[in-house]
Amino acid sequence: MSRLLARYGVWLLVLALALGFLLLGSGLDFAYVIPKRLTRLAAIGIAGVCIAYASVIFQTIAGNRILTPAIMGYEAIYLLFQALLILLLGTQSLVLLGRHGNVLLSILLMLGYSWLIHRWLFRNGRNNVYMLLLLGLVLSMVMATFTQFIQLKISPGEFSILQGFNYASFNKAQPAQVIYSGLLVALVCLLVQRTLPLLDVLSLGRDQAISLGVDYLRSVSLQLALIAVLVAVSTSLVGPTAFMGVFVANITYALARTNRHRVTLPMASAIAIALLIIAQYLVEQLFNYNTSVSILINLVCGVYFLTLMVRTRGSA
Amino acid sequence: MISLSHVYKAYGNQQVLNDVSIEFPPGQVTSLIGPNGAGKTTLLMLIARLQAPTRGELKLGGRSIASIPIRDYAKQVATLRQAPEFNLRLTVEELVAFGRFPYSRGNLTAADHQAIDEAITFLSLQALRLSYIDELSGGQRQMAFLAMTIAQQTDYLLLDEPLNNLDMKHAVLIMRALRRLCDEQGRTVILVVHDINFAANYSDHIVAMKRGAVHCHGPVAQVVNEACLRDLFDLDFEILRSEQGFVCNYFNPSTSRELI
Repeated sequence: MSRLLARYGVWLLVLALALGFLLLGSGLDFAYVIPKRLTRLAAIGIAGVCIAYASVIFQTIAGNRILTPAIMGYEAIYLLFQALLILLLGTQSLVLLGRHGNVLLSILLMLGYSWLIHRWLFRNGRNNVYMLLLLGLVLSMVMATFTQFIQLKISPGEFSILQGFNYASFNKAQPAQVIYSGLLVALVCLLVQRTLPLLDVLSLGRDQAISLGVDYLRSVSLQLALIAVLVAVSTSLVGPTAFMGVFVANITYALARTNRHRVTLPMASAIAIALLIIAQYLVEQLFNYNTSVSILINLVCGVYFLTLMVRTRGSA
Repeated sequence: MISLSHVYKAYGNQQVLNDVSIEFPPGQVTSLIGPNGAGKTTLLMLIARLQAPTRGELKLGGRSIASIPIRDYAKQVATLRQAPEFNLRLTVEELVAFGRFPYSRGNLTAADHQAIDEAITFLSLQALRLSYIDELSGGQRQMAFLAMTIAQQTDYLLLDEPLNNLDMKHAVLIMRALRRLCDEQGRTVILVVHDINFAANYSDHIVAMKRGAVHCHGPVAQVVNEACLRDLFDLDFEILRSEQGFVCNYFNPSTSRELI
């Protein structure tokens, strides 16, 4: 009973928050305020689903509850790519690619990145997830350093454009971007939907999955590719959210009390969306746009991440 | 029948299996015994396709196992490794249902539910059916994992040290269950086991391995003798034979006392 309550309760909460976000202080202005807010709300929904799916699926594959795709350097490579574009093409790049060209190119790049990491590490039939994670961690540090270096080379004007990518926000979301991001994410979710039982088997670990007839290498590369798309979309919408995935996934496991992906994926999405709506509302109403969703989220979820680390270290 | 011909396996420069050729008799319980690092588990992992051989060929029913699609292979060979630290929240029934994945790919049919019921009944786990895996004792958990493997309804069962960390009662329960799977259902069971007495009393066939090669193999009565075991483990053995079976005494055999 309490489990059902948790399952549907989070969605009721999301509904209430969404309505509140749309209508509170809007003066019921259906011509301007509400359509604008609807666009932001849609962007929040898409980003929430991306973060939730990417984190939960990644934790299933890694068999670890403290890791997120950010550890694999997915976000770092996105930011490095943006910095490189600005360095090489200057502000021209904005005109040349447009916002949509940029996002699509980023997705392609990240797909290539995840394929490369996977390919390189699994080439001898060795498939050690820990090796993969270590590599991702080192690579993301290297890439972050490169990005910082580039920031020193570019002009202040270009730097402020780059900051816009680093601290993307829902305020800038364009309806067109929301629509194609939404379509892309819907496609990914559809693919995931078809592999839900497979994900459950993958959570038993490599050996058991192979023993149950899973083509492990192929399944993991497919899931990593889907994660790459999801992270690209979410990073272009909200910017880096390193710790949010950990928070969302762990709260979900605690509430759902099951590891079935049929239950955890929708629930994690609801929690992520609720969290983003609250953060966006605070940014708009309380902080008067003086801070970004990304910073607020990382503040709250970072603290949670620390307590989680301390707690698991105590029990291990 | 599972057979290996001239199989080599190396991890980097370390040679783990060295020219192993052997056949596992069908419809029997075969125990792999030998000291640590002899390559028993590696051999089992090769048969399970969790590792690939560096050289050589493994065959199942005359067909090279590498050529069999993995989802078909899972309908013929089921593997149970030592259950690792397990932090998933699953009931026993849900775990056993995973055994049907090769057939149902997640959508359980009436036949699948029947196989799950049979596996749970076979190991008398009905009372634990809705218990969560992480709340069970080590022995009960091992039984639940075995039930999953049984529900896979394969002709071959591979088990890697299924008795590890179990109390005597659960160890006997597991071995009796394996014996019944073989006798009542005609399944072929291959297991790695460290306790020589369990191997001697519950299996039909023994394969003894030492330093990556087969040291000796054959029916139990042939392998379980003082000379062979002394060579294998570098320990003195005193084997007490009775009508019920063997007891291998390596704790304080009378032979070694004479030496002192």
